[in-house]
Amino acid sequence: MAKTALYEYPAELREEFEATEDIHFRDGSRATAADVWHFMTEIGPKRYPFAYTQKKYAGSRLSRDIHLPSAIKNHYLLLTMNDRINKSRENGAPVIFVQGGQSVDPYYAAGGIALRPASVGLWARGRHEGLGLNEEAIRSRNQREKANHAISFEACQTAGYANIQEDDLPVDMVAPFTCLRCSDISYGVEAHRHGPNKAVKLMNIDYPMRHQADKPWAVEYFARNLRRLTSEIGKRAGREVTDDDLTKEIKLHNEGRRLAIDTAELWWSADLPPTNGVDRRALYQMGGMEIHGDPSASLTVLRESNAYIRERVKRGIKAEGVVDKPIRLFVCGSCVFPNDFRIEEAGAIIVGQDNHWSDISTLVAEEGDPYQNLAHAILSYPYEQSIEKRAEWTIEQLKKSRADGVLFLYQWGCNTQSAIARMLCDTIKRDSGIPTMIIEQHEGGSEQSEQLLNRVNAFIEML
Amino acid sequence: MTVKTLEVIRKRLDERPDELRKARANGQKVVGWTGYNVPEEIIHALGFIPIRIAIGGDDRLVEVGGRYASSKNCVFIREIVGAFAENEDPYIQQTDVLAFDATCLQNFRAAEVIEYYFKRDVVVLGVPRNFYWEEGQEYFVNEANEFTRLLEERAGAKLDTVKLAASVALYNDIRKTLKSIYFFQAAKDNVISWEEVFDLIQAGDLLDKKEYLILLQETLIELQELQPDPVIEADGADGRIFISGSLIPRGDRKLIGIINAVGGRIVGDDLWTGILPHLDLDIKEISPAGVALGYLNRTPHAALPYLDLESDRRLKKLHELIDESKAQGVIYHTLRYCDPFTFKAKETKDVLAKSGIPLLEIHTEYAGSDYEAMRTRVEAFVEMIKIKAESAAEVAV
Amino acid sequence: MSIKRNFFAGVDVGSLAAKSVILEDGEIFATGLVPSGVDSVESGLKALNLALETGGLIQEDLTYIVGTGYGRVSAPYANKAVTEITCHAKGANYLHPSVRTIIDMGGQDCKAIRIDQDGAVVDFAMNDKCAAGTGRFLEVMAGVFKVKLEDLGALALSATELVPMSSTCTVFAESETISLVARGEKPANILNGIHHAIANRISGLFARVGIASDVFFSGGVAKNTGMKTAIEEALKVTIVKPEIDPQLIGALGAAVLARSFSKKEGLWA
Ligand code: SF4
Ligand code: SF4
Repeated sequence: MAKTALYEYPAELREEFEATEDIHFRDGSRATAADVWHFMTEIGPKRYPFAYTQKKYAGSRLSRDIHLPSAIKNHYLLLTMNDRINKSRENGAPVIFVQGGQSVDPYYAAGGIALRPASVGLWARGRHEGLGLNEEAIRSRNQREKANHAISFEACQTAGYANIQEDDLPVDMVAPFTCLRCSDISYGVEAHRHGPNKAVKLMNIDYPMRHQADKPWAVEYFARNLRRLTSEIGKRAGREVTDDDLTKEIKLHNEGRRLAIDTAELWWSADLPPTNGVDRRALYQMGGMEIHGDPSASLTVLRESNAYIRERVKRGIKAEGVVDKPIRLFVCGSCVFPNDFRIEEAGAIIVGQDNHWSDISTLVAEEGDPYQNLAHAILSYPYEQSIEKRAEWTIEQLKKSRADGVLFLYQWGCNTQSAIARMLCDTIKRDSGIPTMIIEQHEGGSEQSEQLLNRVNAFIEML
Repeated sequence: MTVKTLEVIRKRLDERPDELRKARANGQKVVGWTGYNVPEEIIHALGFIPIRIAIGGDDRLVEVGGRYASSKNCVFIREIVGAFAENEDPYIQQTDVLAFDATCLQNFRAAEVIEYYFKRDVVVLGVPRNFYWEEGQEYFVNEANEFTRLLEERAGAKLDTVKLAASVALYNDIRKTLKSIYFFQAAKDNVISWEEVFDLIQAGDLLDKKEYLILLQETLIELQELQPDPVIEADGADGRIFISGSLIPRGDRKLIGIINAVGGRIVGDDLWTGILPHLDLDIKEISPAGVALGYLNRTPHAALPYLDLESDRRLKKLHELIDESKAQGVIYHTLRYCDPFTFKAKETKDVLAKSGIPLLEIHTEYAGSDYEAMRTRVEAFVEMIKIKAESAAEVAV
Repeated sequence: MSIKRNFFAGVDVGSLAAKSVILEDGEIFATGLVPSGVDSVESGLKALNLALETGGLIQEDLTYIVGTGYGRVSAPYANKAVTEITCHAKGANYLHPSVRTIIDMGGQDCKAIRIDQDGAVVDFAMNDKCAAGTGRFLEVMAGVFKVKLEDLGALALSATELVPMSSTCTVFAESETISLVARGEKPANILNGIHHAIANRISGLFARVGIASDVFFSGGVAKNTGMKTAIEEALKVTIVKPEIDPQLIGALGAAVLARSFSKKEGLWA
C-alpha cells in the first residue's frame, strides 16, 4: 500500500518557535517551547500520524498557520492528552465526563479533571498509537457503532458510552450538567448503568429550566447540586473541598473567560482575519479552560496568543490561506461544526458560535457564596434562556462579530437544538435582518458530507 | 356479552366537545394539560375543566408539526404541535390555558414552540431529574407552588383546601375503581378486553370527572355481575402480551390492531396512557406540595433518569405487572425519536431475559408504511411465545 | 396396493424473489425460484408450479402448503401462513441441526434469529427501516459502481484498503459514495468499506439477540462472498456452508412446517 508522505513543520521555523513561551501545567511542571518542538516534529508523527495527514480537508489535521505559536501548542496539548491525563490520574485526580457548553470551575476546584465528549474522544484516540487517518476514522466509527448498538441508533451522542463502556477508558465519574442545551444527556448518563464498567460513578447535575435564573429556588437547587458534585469529586480526590477552593477556582476561570472575551473582541475588530477558523475557535475555547484537560496550560497559551493577535490586528496581518474579504459566518447549535477548511476555500470564514461561547462569555461573581454565584451564572447562560432572550444575545454577538449570515447546524437525531432551530432563526431574521440557514448533519466523519457542504456553499454564494 | 356502560361512555364522549363549548360560553375555563407529573387535582380544584392533550396516529399532523418543531422530535410531540398549528381538534380548540411539564424535555420544547408560534398561554411545571434527592423534591414543591400561583392568576381565585381535598378524594376513587376494572380484562374467560379498558381509561382524560367516576362504578358493577369470580390464569397458548414503552394516545391504534390481527391477546400494560399513572399515587397532605409529591413519588416516567439499575422502581413495577397479568411476552413500543424509551429498549430486554420473559421492540411512527414490517415481527413473536407455551404444556403432560 | 406418497410444499414470496420447496416425507423433492412480480399471489404460484413441474407433480398431489414471506398474508393456495422468521428457523434446523443462529439478508430486510435444538425461535431482531445489508441497498451500490450485483462481493474482496464509511443509510451512503469516488478513492476499497459498515450494522442486531454457534447465513445476499467474509470478521464467527441455495431456506422451513401441521391435523399418519 502506498502511504502518502506526512506533513512536516519547516525546519527553519524551529528557532523562531523555540523562542516562545513555556506552557505551565497545573501540577507545577512545564513544557518549554523546545520540548513542544521536539514532540511535534519527532514523536508526534510516529505516534499520531493521522494528525500529520496531507489531506487538506481532514478535520483533525494540523493548522498551517505556523507563525502563530498557539496553533502548534494547541496541537501539542491535544496530542499529549493521553499522556497527561494518565499522569494526573496516577497522581490522584479523578477524571469526570461532562458535556460541552458548560463551565468546569467546580470540577477543578474539587481536584478533578473535567472533560467534555470531544476531549474524552481525544484522550481515547491518544491511546491508539500509530494510526493513519483512515485507520483512525475506522476505529472511532466502530466505537461509535458499538455504542449505538448498546443504546440506540437514534442516539446522537455516544462518545461517553463508546469510550467508557466499550473501550475501558478509565473515567472515574460521569457527571455533566444535564438538560442544558441537550435533552439526551441525562439518558446518556443513565445508559452507563447497564454497561460493563461498574466502577464509574454516575451523577446528573440537574439544570432546572424555564426562567431558571429568576427563580431563587432553582438557583438554590442547582447550587446544592454543585455542592454534591464537589463533595463527590473531593471524596475521590481525597480531600475536603472548601468554599475558598471554589472561589479561587472561579477567579482563575474568570481570568480565562475575560481573556477569551478580549481576544474575541480583538479578532472581531480586525479588517483582515488574524487567524484561520480552526485556530480562532481553539483560542476562544481556551477561555473555557476545558479543552486541554489542564486550565493552567490553556491559560498560558491563551495569554501568549492574546498578545500575538493584538500585534497581528495592529499591523493588519492576515492569517495564511484566508481570503481578503471573506464572508463572515456565525454558527448556532450544538455538537456539530462545519469543516473550516472547506468554508475557507469557498471564500468564507467562521467568526464565532453560540454554543461554548454562551458559557465562556458568562462571568461569575467573585464576592459572596461561591456556589450561589456559580449557580446563578450558569443558570443565566444565554443559550439556555427563552427563545426571545437567546435570540437577543445571539444578535448582539452577530453585531459584535460583524457576521454576514447565520448557519444553524444540528446533528441528526438531536431533539433539542433541532426543535429550537426554526424559532431562533425566525427571530434573528425578524429582529436583525441577517440571513439564516438551518442544516442537519448526518453522522460526521472527519470530512463532512458533500451534501452538507454543498448547502453551506450555496449559502455562502448567496451572501 | 357486552358491557353496556361502555356504550354510554362512547356516547358521552361524542357529546363532550359540545358540552365544553357550552361550559366555556358560561364562563368556565378549560386547561389542556400534558406531562406525567402535572398534578391534575390542582387544576380541578381551581374550578378549571382539565382535558388531557394526548393524541396520536395522524401522520399528516406529524408532518405539519415538524415544520414548526423539527423532524427529529418524537412523533407524539410533532403531532401535538401540528394539532395546535391546525387548531381543528375539538378539544384543542376548547383550551384556554395550557399546562405542560418538563418530565420529558421534548414536552417542554413543545410548550416553547406552541407558545412562540401559536401564541397560546402556557404554564410550565419544572420537574427535577434528581427526583429521588431531597433537594430535588424541595425544588419540585417550589415549582408546584409556582405552578399553582400561575394557575390561580388565570382562575382569578385562590386554591381552596376544602375543594382540593374533594378533588383528591374524587381522583382517588377514580384510580381505585380503574384498578378494580383493570383486573377483569386479564382474567380467564374475560368479559371485557384490555382494549376496552384502555379506551375506558382514556375516556377519563376528557369526560367530566364526577360523571366519569359514576360511569366507572357502573361498569364495575356490571363486570362483577357478569363474572363474579375472575381469576388470572395463563391458559396454554393464548399468546398473552404485555405492552410497555412509549405512550399510545387516543387516535393511535396501529400496534394494538396488529397484535389483535395476528392472534395475540393483550393482558397488561405500563403505558403512560394506560394503567400506570393511576397506580401507587399516594397523596399524604392536602396541599399543592402534598399532591405534587404524590405524583413525583409514583413509579417514575422513563424520561426521568435513574442511575442504579438494581433498584430501579420502574423496572420493578414492570416485573410486578407482568407477573400479575401472567403475560408470556412483552411488546415494547418505541415511538420514533422518543429517546426516553428507545434508549432503554435493549436494557429492558436484557433485564427481562434474566427472568425468562421475551421482549420484542417495535420501533414505529404514525405513518402506515411500516405496517407490514411490524406485522411480520409481531406475528413471529406471537408464534414464538405460542410455540413456547405449547411445548411447555406438552412437557407438563 | 401402492403406498400413498405424501408431498408437502412451502412457498416463500419475498420482495425480490419467490421460492418454493417440495418435500416428500422427510426429503427435499423439488425446488423452484423465480423473480417476484408485482402480484404476490402470481409470483408464489409461479415458484410453486416450477417446483411441481421439476418434480413432475400437480398441485393436487400436495398434502399441505404453507405460505411465508411478505406474500403470506394473501396466499389463497396455502393451507396456512407462517412468518418467515419461524420458517427460516425450521429450514436451517432441518438442514443443519447444530445451527443456533441465523443471519438472513433478503431483498428489503435483514434478520437475526436465535433458535434452539428443535428449530424453535428463541429470539429475533430485524433491522429497523434501515436498508443496510439488504439486497436493495446492494443493488443501489452496484448501480453507483456500474457493476453487476453478483460481482459486488468479489470486487470488495479485491480491495487493498478499507475506506471508512460514516453512513449505512441508503440515501446518505449513496451520496457519500459518490463523494468518495469524486475524491479519487478506488471502487474496490470503497466497496470494502461499505461491506464492513454493513456487517457492523448487522452485528448490532446480534447485540440484541446474542450469538451462538453454528451460524447460518440465509437469503439472497448470502451468495455475496464479500458480505459473508465481512460478517465473519465483524461477528468473529465461521458461517456454515449451506447444503442448498441459501435463498431457499424460508421455503424449506415452510415445507417442514407443512409436514408437521398436516400430521397434527391428522391428514396422514
Ligand atoms: S446533538 Fe443535540 S441531542 Fe445530541 S448531544 Fe448534542 S445537543 Fe444533545
Ligand atoms: S416520553 Fe417519548 S413520546 Fe413522550 S414526549 Fe417524551 S419523547 Fe415524546
